[in-house]
Amino acid sequence: MTSTAAMFSYADTAWPVLERTAEAHRRSWDMLAAPGEWWTGAERISIAAECRRASALVDGLPDPGPGPAELPEAAVFAIHKLIGDLPNVTHDWYDETISAEGMSDARYIEMLGVVVHIWSVDEFHRALDIDLEPLPDPIPGEPTQVRPSGARAHGSWPQTILPEDLHESEADIYGGMERTSNVRAAMSLHPDSVRWLTDLFDAHYLSWIEIQSEQEPFRVLTRPQRELVAARVSALNECFY
Amino acid sequence: MLRESSKRSGTLDQLNLKGTVNADADSGVPQGSLLTAFAEAAVRRTDALPGLREQIASELGAQELVDAAGVVANFQRMVRIADGCGIPLDEFTRDATDDVRDELGIHEYASAANTV
Repeated sequence: MTSTAAMFSYADTAWPVLERTAEAHRRSWDMLAAPGEWWTGAERISIAAECRRASALVDGLPDPGPGPAELPEAAVFAIHKLIGDLPNVTHDWYDETISAEGMSDARYIEMLGVVVHIWSVDEFHRALDIDLEPLPDPIPGEPTQVRPSGARAHGSWPQTILPEDLHESEADIYGGMERTSNVRAAMSLHPDSVRWLTDLFDAHYLSWIEIQSEQEPFRVLTRPQRELVAARVSALNECFY
Repeated sequence: MLRESSKRSGTLDQLNLKGTVNADADSGVPQGSLLTAFAEAAVRRTDALPGLREQIASELGAQELVDAAGVVANFQRMVRIADGCGIPLDEFTRDATDDVRDELGIHEYASAANTV
């Protein structure tokens, strides 16, 4: 493990990865290494490491090994479920997971945020046959344990925050929009995960502004081509949403 | 979203949504079969992936390949957020896609029980 400054240099890779994508990946590693609201930096690195172990298990590759901190057993199980057994993730399973020792709804959401973003950066590398970037060194510090006061039940399993219930500390997470999609709000119990989502969403797919625009995005694949790929990936994962 | 963007680009009459769930169906999207084959190889980790990378780079361009990899990576993430949180369908999506979901068999997915 090492620091992030010199990471994600794609100069020697076979494909022309944009610098803005590399920058987003570096920001992802910075986010990963820092203490969160509910997990330390070392625990967040361990979540990422477990995500890689789960992926290696599914792919029949050697175990890359655990991270620097021990995780609750329920967290380890959840990470493997989210990577390798997604169609069988259920509401009952979610309830059991957040009730287990060392877990809570907020800890689950922050853990999910780490898993999906590390997984996404790694999937980008796998799709292009680029070696996975080493995980960063954790940044010392304690979790702040601040729960957004505007979080309420709105139909998702975890509580979420509607745009009108945002407070100053998380006022930016929906980009000032008065309405938001459920998938964007899904991790709002941990606002930094929504910020992370927005950053990588723009780098890999489209910005939220482009999503709402009638214009063709300034990307090389056309919008129908992008959405066809998106729909195929969703179908392969049997994702109803 | 695919239907909406095809409508906007004036290609809706050529669109076949079965191409999103069936590898043998032609979606009608230019180079769509190649792009969905790449998506499937990347998600399923098949031996076809290296050849498909080269084919996309050759037929569409290297930037297009990188772009496609980004979209795959993005939705490998988004599906885990959606299914990991059991989010309900957005009102607009539910109203606009109910017929299509029936036609494509999406209501049969296990995750439908979590999301409806």
